[in-house]
Amino acid sequence: MDFSTFLVQLNDAIVYENGPNLAFLLRPTSPHGKDLVKEFRNPTRASFSRYEGSMQSPWDEIAIQYVLVCTHVAKKRSLEAFKEEAQLVSLFFRFFTETPGWTLPALCSILRDLRDLAIDADHYAKYNNQKSECMEESARVIAKAFSYCVMDRQSPLEQSRKWGVYYLVGLVMKCYFRIKRISLSKNILRALEANNDIPALSLYPRAHQVTYRYYIGMLSFLNEEFAKSEEQLTLAFYNCHVDSHSNQERILAHLIPLRILKGHLPSTELMKRFPVLDELFSPFITAIKKGDIKSYDQALEAWETRLLELNLWLSLEKARELCLRSLFRRMWVAVDKGTRLPISLFHSALTVSGLDVTDDEAECLVANLIFRGFIRGYISHERKMVVLASTNAFPPVADRPSPLSSI
Amino acid sequence: MSPSESNSKAAESSKLEEKPKEAQQPNLSVLEEDDEFEEFPVSDWDDSKTDLAHLGGAAPGAAKSGGDKLWEDNWDDDDVEDDFSVQLRHVARWFHNSNFI
Repeated sequence: MDFSTFLVQLNDAIVYENGPNLAFLLRPTSPHGKDLVKEFRNPTRASFSRYEGSMQSPWDEIAIQYVLVCTHVAKKRSLEAFKEEAQLVSLFFRFFTETPGWTLPALCSILRDLRDLAIDADHYAKYNNQKSECMEESARVIAKAFSYCVMDRQSPLEQSRKWGVYYLVGLVMKCYFRIKRISLSKNILRALEANNDIPALSLYPRAHQVTYRYYIGMLSFLNEEFAKSEEQLTLAFYNCHVDSHSNQERILAHLIPLRILKGHLPSTELMKRFPVLDELFSPFITAIKKGDIKSYDQALEAWETRLLELNLWLSLEKARELCLRSLFRRMWVAVDKGTRLPISLFHSALTVSGLDVTDDEAECLVANLIFRGFIRGYISHERKMVVLASTNAFPPVADRPSPLSSI
Repeated sequence: MSPSESNSKAAESSKLEEKPKEAQQPNLSVLEEDDEFEEFPVSDWDDSKTDLAHLGGAAPGAAKSGGDKLWEDNWDDDDVEDDFSVQLRHVARWFHNSNFI
């Protein structure tokens, strides 16, 4: 495809309001990108002067920008490619703010490209010991696009630019997660909350819903708002496309520990579908079921590095309580479910399972499980006795009221 | 078995034991840092392409007792027979015999 044909096709996409085709035409990886690089060899903005005015503004400039981006990409000049793409996006904004939502596929596509080029540029800079903040810059540009979507008051609802809102929030968060500056997401989330005329999330395409919920879930997880995180990751998982296996896996990596804390252990059926997660979590799950505190602690220790990297160590350390509960429950079953039991009995259970603690520590562990609602009863400190409720002394873990809010 | 054979066996087994701890960590390459939440190839799909079917009509958030077979919410078993239950019964008997219970 030569440049003249490219201009004609761009024009057609605009006249016929064909968003997906416009996205295709502006993607640096599309096949015509290579053709245009060959046609112009070493283009500068000046070498295109004869094309200025060949299309309605800003499209003549956007077309030229596109060739510059493709050329830099082909020559692996990633920082220049990023800068020119940012310029392309800013020209596109001039058109975007004047049109209804049919242009959203193109907007989302060029912003995705901008972000991808930022990854390359920052990576290149890091490799050469240079400072580079392209990812921050691309987050700012995407946030600007978000505000252009939110402020659409003219277009009828079905053609509104507002249908781009959640995708863009997801993309901004993806930028901040990439550079580990997740607290910066708060600005765009505040802006999202401040606008109450945005359609309900459930009306958006599932890809937008799932990505948005995944990042909200992750943000809440890292802020230790576990109840909110569990809710969002659950919705992300159940609405995710089953063929997007690695996305489901990413969601579950954090949803599983939250569900464990809630008292929902992943079934064999679920784990079979995700062997990597099975390998990671099954030692903990088996230990919880058996009350095998020794194995639980060994698993925590053996995989400490990986668990810390994945931010999972804290939640699994918390879930150790479930393992202690099972151990004490088994001891209770072995004494035919008596209701007045010496604390030393539970101390012995700990000793048998390989945990060496003092009398006071043992009492403290029992007291904590009572306090946390795993055991119903009370401790008589003077008599060193545990007095258990006559019914339901060990309620199912999932029956505790708001199990995730008190962690 | 000749002495040399048994030596090489011993050498082999000691090699296995020397395996660094890091190598035994689970390989979670899919969860590596640079590998992020992927773009979906399509933007929308219906319920049949999701795990909602497993819920059997329940709202997301339930477990087996609520109709979702992917999560187990009752794993308490009073009839486990393993070495550990034998040990716990020993403890129980001792407490009974000593009139502590």
